[in-house]
Amino acid sequence: MPRTAAEWNERPHFPRTHYVDARIYTDWDIFREEREKIFARTWILACHESELAKPYDYRTFRHPAGQTLVIVRGDDDKVRAFFNICSHRGSTLVNAPAGNARTLTCAFHAWTFDCRGDCTGISRRKEGFQERLESARVGLRAVRIERGPGGFYWVKLEDEGVSLLDYLAGALGVLEPYLAEPLEIFHYQKVRLRANYKLWHDTNSEFYHDFVHYFNRVTGMQQPGYFGRKYETYPNGHASVGSMRVRYDQYQGGTDRIGWPGLEPGGWFLVDLFPGMTFNLRTSVLRIDTAVPLAPNEVVVELRGLGLRSDTSAQRALRIRDHNAIWGPFGRNLHEDFLAVTGQGVSLRDDWTDARWLLHGREETNTIHDEVGMRHFYAEWSRLMGRSASDPFVDGSAE
Amino acid sequence: MRSAVEELVYRSCLLLDEHDFGGFLALCTDDFRYTVEAFSPEIRKNMIWLDHDKAGMKSLFETLPRHFSDPSPVTRHVTVYTVTFDTDGPRAAVVSALQVFRTALDGGTTSLFAVGKLYDTVVMTDGRVALAKRVLRLATRDLGIGSHVPL
Repeated sequence: MPRTAAEWNERPHFPRTHYVDARIYTDWDIFREEREKIFARTWILACHESELAKPYDYRTFRHPAGQTLVIVRGDDDKVRAFFNICSHRGSTLVNAPAGNARTLTCAFHAWTFDCRGDCTGISRRKEGFQERLESARVGLRAVRIERGPGGFYWVKLEDEGVSLLDYLAGALGVLEPYLAEPLEIFHYQKVRLRANYKLWHDTNSEFYHDFVHYFNRVTGMQQPGYFGRKYETYPNGHASVGSMRVRYDQYQGGTDRIGWPGLEPGGWFLVDLFPGMTFNLRTSVLRIDTAVPLAPNEVVVELRGLGLRSDTSAQRALRIRDHNAIWGPFGRNLHEDFLAVTGQGVSLRDDWTDARWLLHGREETNTIHDEVGMRHFYAEWSRLMGRSASDPFVDGSAE
Repeated sequence: MRSAVEELVYRSCLLLDEHDFGGFLALCTDDFRYTVEAFSPEIRKNMIWLDHDKAGMKSLFETLPRHFSDPSPVTRHVTVYTVTFDTDGPRAAVVSALQVFRTALDGGTTSLFAVGKLYDTVVMTDGRVALAKRVLRLATRDLGIGSHVPL
């Protein structure tokens, strides 16, 4: 039965853990607070080691808290991260998204820095600064960086706090047996979407939306084992989804996939990491999503596809084929996910929402269509924000 | 002959605009191959984003109605730059500029979707020209919500 305006605004008859206030996706104050209380304080995946294969390779990364970083492999093979800004006048130090440079030179006034973050050159220093400025006092701003499972580099803006290992809290444990071999990136795409970053992560955190994917329905939902896939939750808001045997041959033109060392044929594990990263190992390809919010209703999703560094060219071509079939820009599933989430972004838009509550209320003993992954995320979100996701402004509206 | 080659390229885009996929495939040789590529400055690699033979393209087109796709019409604007005929065979290499525009179904606002270049191989047999190979090299890499239909 259609509802009146008053009825539309009534709180759902669910526990408060089982729905969220739609304003958490649209409110600017909440967005700014997320940058400060969540993104600036948690570990964020920045890039893969194969993007920095050689000494002096660098890679820039726009951090979800707003800063731009440059990540550099040093002459000592150590990978370091810095703010991508010159210590002099704050100009962008490195403009290309990746490259190789023994010296990072600011084009503005020709100050130079080495791969360890030391300032190595101040143009016309003696003439202008005399002895009043020491190079040691104008090094780059270092950012904590650690290498995680699979060779991914993670960064944390705070100098203090938990290690990456403690932050991951075992969530990548289900994948670690398959991340032992060196990996190599073959696909990278940045996609700007009109949607809140949490809506993208929500989509990665629930499989109920397989109804939007014809491919997943015929190769997964209609196959044995699908409804037995289980969610596991971990500290710090992370969750994983167990595997099944996906039947790729059930899709028109589909063929068996090349597979992955140690993974059962057709196997598929997924791990969602708070606050916006997803590891998705699907039979022959590892996909990594990183959500970088730009505004309440705007997110850049970084999409990576990886295979094994040991791949022959023929094996790599098959992995790329498998990746593109569903996850490429012309793939079957990615477009559908983007349509679904930007459809949410139409009603939950800039500083306004037509939707009032979003339900996360499915309980199916933590199996594949249970929404426990999202509930677990919002429990952590509420803890870090000091606000309930279902009552963020404590507006006292009736239960 | 150049005008026949140019018309083939233009016609291929018109047919894709109209979702006349059978008509598009009829312009192609049996060993036709279609590839979409893009270079990523971020990972400093060439990327293959789509790579199908004719059977793969046919299957891709046939499954479209079962999928949830953006219904916005897409318009391809193509300009043939160069046509280079083989000296020792009935083939030509064609380089064209491609711009693709998307027009919103609701309201009709048109926006630029992608730019790139088409590198086509055209064969001429029995007075007929046919598309033997198409490589679309995209300059645009942020394709927003993307597309189920190759450009």
